[in-house]
Amino acid sequence: MSLLRRAKTWEISDSEGSDAETKPDLNPEVATETKEDQSSGDQNRSVLPAAAGRQSAPSLSPPRPQGSGTPSPTRKRRTKEEIEADRQKAKERKEERERQRAARVQEKEERREAAERLKSLRPENCLKCLTVRLDPALLQQDGSDILLDTLAAFEWRFSIESQQLSHSITWTRDLPQQGEDVSVEEEQVVLVLGLADFMDMVISVKRMLDSEGEETERGSFLSPLLECLNRDAQKVVTLLVIESNYSINACGEHPRDEMLQSKLGMKNVDIEEVLVYLQLCKNISLVFLDGWQDVTDHVCAVTKALSKRPFKLLTERAELPFCVDGSWASGVRVERDGSGLVEVWSKQIQQLNRVSPAVASAVTASYPSPQLLLQAYQSLASEEERKGLLAGLLVKSGGKERRIGPEISARVYRCVTAQNPQLVLD
Amino acid sequence: MPASEPVRLGRKRVLPACPNPLFLRWLTELRDEAREKGLKTQYTYQKALSSLNKYPLPLRNAKEAKILQNFGDGICKILDEKLQRYHQENGADAQIQSVSSAAPPAGRADNNSVAPSRKNSAGDGGKDRAPDGKKKRREYVPQKRSGGHAVLLTLYRQSQIPDSKGFMFKLELQAEAQPLCDKSFTVPDLGSKYTAWTSVSTLIQKNLLIKTHNPARYSLTEEGLALAERLAAAERQTTEEEEEEEEGPGVVDLTGSDDGEGEEDRTHPTGSAAGQQSSDTDASCSSEKPQSSQTTSRHQGGGCLLPGTYEIILCVDFIETTGGSNHRKQELVKELQRNRVNFDIRKLNVGDFLWVAREKVTPVPGQLRVPAGRELVLDYIIERKRMDDLCGSIIDGRFREQKFRLKRCGLHRPVYLVEEHGTAASHLSLPEATLQQAIVNTQVVDGFFVKRVQDVRESAAYLTIMTRYLNKVYQNRTLSCRSRELEGDVCGAEEERGVPSCSLISFAEFNHGAVKNKCQTVREVFARQLMQISGLSGDKAAAILEHYSTPHSLMAAYERCASEAEKEKLLASVRYGKLKRNVGPALSRTVYQLYCTQGPLS
Repeated sequence: MSLLRRAKTWEISDSEGSDAETKPDLNPEVATETKEDQSSGDQNRSVLPAAAGRQSAPSLSPPRPQGSGTPSPTRKRRTKEEIEADRQKAKERKEERERQRAARVQEKEERREAAERLKSLRPENCLKCLTVRLDPALLQQDGSDILLDTLAAFEWRFSIESQQLSHSITWTRDLPQQGEDVSVEEEQVVLVLGLADFMDMVISVKRMLDSEGEETERGSFLSPLLECLNRDAQKVVTLLVIESNYSINACGEHPRDEMLQSKLGMKNVDIEEVLVYLQLCKNISLVFLDGWQDVTDHVCAVTKALSKRPFKLLTERAELPFCVDGSWASGVRVERDGSGLVEVWSKQIQQLNRVSPAVASAVTASYPSPQLLLQAYQSLASEEERKGLLAGLLVKSGGKERRIGPEISARVYRCVTAQNPQLVLD
Repeated sequence: MPASEPVRLGRKRVLPACPNPLFLRWLTELRDEAREKGLKTQYTYQKALSSLNKYPLPLRNAKEAKILQNFGDGICKILDEKLQRYHQENGADAQIQSVSSAAPPAGRADNNSVAPSRKNSAGDGGKDRAPDGKKKRREYVPQKRSGGHAVLLTLYRQSQIPDSKGFMFKLELQAEAQPLCDKSFTVPDLGSKYTAWTSVSTLIQKNLLIKTHNPARYSLTEEGLALAERLAAAERQTTEEEEEEEEGPGVVDLTGSDDGEGEEDRTHPTGSAAGQQSSDTDASCSSEKPQSSQTTSRHQGGGCLLPGTYEIILCVDFIETTGGSNHRKQELVKELQRNRVNFDIRKLNVGDFLWVAREKVTPVPGQLRVPAGRELVLDYIIERKRMDDLCGSIIDGRFREQKFRLKRCGLHRPVYLVEEHGTAASHLSLPEATLQQAIVNTQVVDGFFVKRVQDVRESAAYLTIMTRYLNKVYQNRTLSCRSRELEGDVCGAEEERGVPSCSLISFAEFNHGAVKNKCQTVREVFARQLMQISGLSGDKAAAILEHYSTPHSLMAAYERCASEAEKEKLLASVRYGKLKRNVGPALSRTVYQLYCTQGPLS
């Protein structure tokens, strides 16, 4: 019997896999022997009694832990072959153990590496790998110092170097996992423009659209921008337009409206048309800002977003078919003694579509644990009765008394007892 | 008649033939009609039906029926009228008590096909009979050419095809079953909200059909398979009889397809090509062996919209137009009207605005209703947010949830339309910087396009220009319909910038796929249930589900444990997440307490 028991504990620890480093070594010899007797560890219970019987019958003593490698005393005469076979077996066992140990070590190593990798993707670490690259032309503008000062104050890495696109800001990210100097360019590009430059661009685009593809004068900002996008269509360009002396005048009109109207009679509709074109065809978005402080804030926000992205993309991977965020998912706190579980149980029933808290508490009042509900189902003979078990339970809500309907009753029943995980409940 | 043998064999109990099958059928029809219209008279007819069922003697006319309980003057009058018409059509000598063969589309019925095939839905099922315990519950057999009948037959035929996938998606099933059914699966009859598809829930309730997965897959249960087999056999037999009578299979095919076309014309007057195709299928279906080749081709063939045959319409979610004490919501619609935008208000299950390419249809002479044109959804979907909405949705978690759903809705170009309202954002409960960061994250992390406007008027202007622009872009495009269910999502990245996508999903499929709380599977509910324990996060729930995907399988695992201690540790070493950490003993214990406590929980 003791052998049987031991065999079992061993099995359990085995089924836990490599995590169970502590247990199997307590009594390795017995464990391994038992395993072999059981036709190499197959957890087949029908084999167990026979195996136990065969070994314990002649000796009636439990196998000895210290008997490692030595022949059992009850087997008196053994041929050389037998000894050799035993030795061979022992060797195999040893190798097996070593293989397992090595596997454990390796898995540990792998997990450590995975942890490292994940750690390096954490926003705070990703941030250290990012470099903000500024076009020198930007720094000639008044007020742009604030951007440099802010980046420096955050101790973020930045560089001032000529960009493909004049007046633009881009980002690169180092990939330390793949070597020292490996880095990638992020797809986000920010182009900082004054209102006048922006207007020139709008007019150029408008002209381009009106001429339907004919070659037109594209202006100093538009053509490098389009070229840049032609080179790499994956780039996502955001135009930051600084409306200097930004102020909404008395009639609530923006200065750009006035400026537009003064220029070639351009109206808001025209500008909107240009923006829609830029959105649909070039994926270019636009933000009006009122100075370098705003530009700085935007650049910082993009930098932070870029630093968050790798981790988010990794953890976002959909394992469940619904969004796991939201107030419903916060969970009920459960103490060690189990208090709070009745609320969990009630909330669990509410996870079914169209089950209100009142309906759920009607169920939990009658069946205050999953086991009690299950027992009630088991006591009923027919499927119909079980389906209808909860139907008719009184629901108290706001003075009115209602009863649980057959549909909800059947759904709870199917949810609790169904064996097909993909069964649709509604 | 030896041919009818297998049909009878399948029955658990040979039904005693009702001596008044015509009355029975008419009453059943009346009841079903009333039920579809939601009329109270359905119950009157139901009561009369139960009385008639119990009456063992043949009735010569409707007046005689008056002696029965629940037969009033009204019912008797209706039955008499029907009887008169019947005699006119079939001659005064026509037997009414015995089985006759006058049932119109069902054709020459064999001896048992007129035997009451009753349509009971959950409401009255069982109530009207079996008070005397010895009477067995009568088996549910859907009427010929009814929705249920067509669905069962279609699934049966599909299951007989070698290497079939063993289930069907909704659209597939509807398309395949339509030729076998008189009623439309998609368009309710005038004055009714039910379609033939409604009968599917009855089939599920009767345990004939099983619905799994999301998007839903339909397949037959064992019982359903048995019943469908018999229906198919009966169908074959009818055809054989027809063949015998008409002498020659060619003639049968002809009448078969004529019939089919006639039905098509009645229910779907759109395009003769579609009608032709379905009647082809119809003909092949009524022949002895179901043919597999035609099952999928029809679906894809029908979905092309040529340039000029469709128009681009802006769809506005009705939430954007109704409710709210302020007039802002009306403002948007008014502005769109002023701009003469071609728009349509409807319930969108995800997003606030999108565009459909709607087939232009002309009224058919002699038809009151203009046939429904096909609608394909363009790839753009807009979520509109005022700064205060944004703030509120971040706080209550809707923000992420909405983005999650937008990402999976099947449209590849989500747009976040932010109304900034100048400096009005400054007094919100989240700091301006947080809101701006959330907006930038939406662009950078989620990959949405972010459009910033000042107010509703600018939103309306934007939508107006977008609509005009899309109209222009789609002027000369041929659109094809693709199905997410059947073909899966294609990656949108391959589309070139500026070249609009022309392989689009239908609006119906899009909107159905985006229903928020539809089609919960057992697995999904179980995951949500586990997450109700504090500390049991989504990735832990997912890991537990890998091992135990239903409450049942977890309970069964607990039962297999040898000791309480073992139960307590059951989940402790389940690995979760990227780092393959253990769920741990504390959480394992809590779950154990929840599911294994024999008495009440505290």
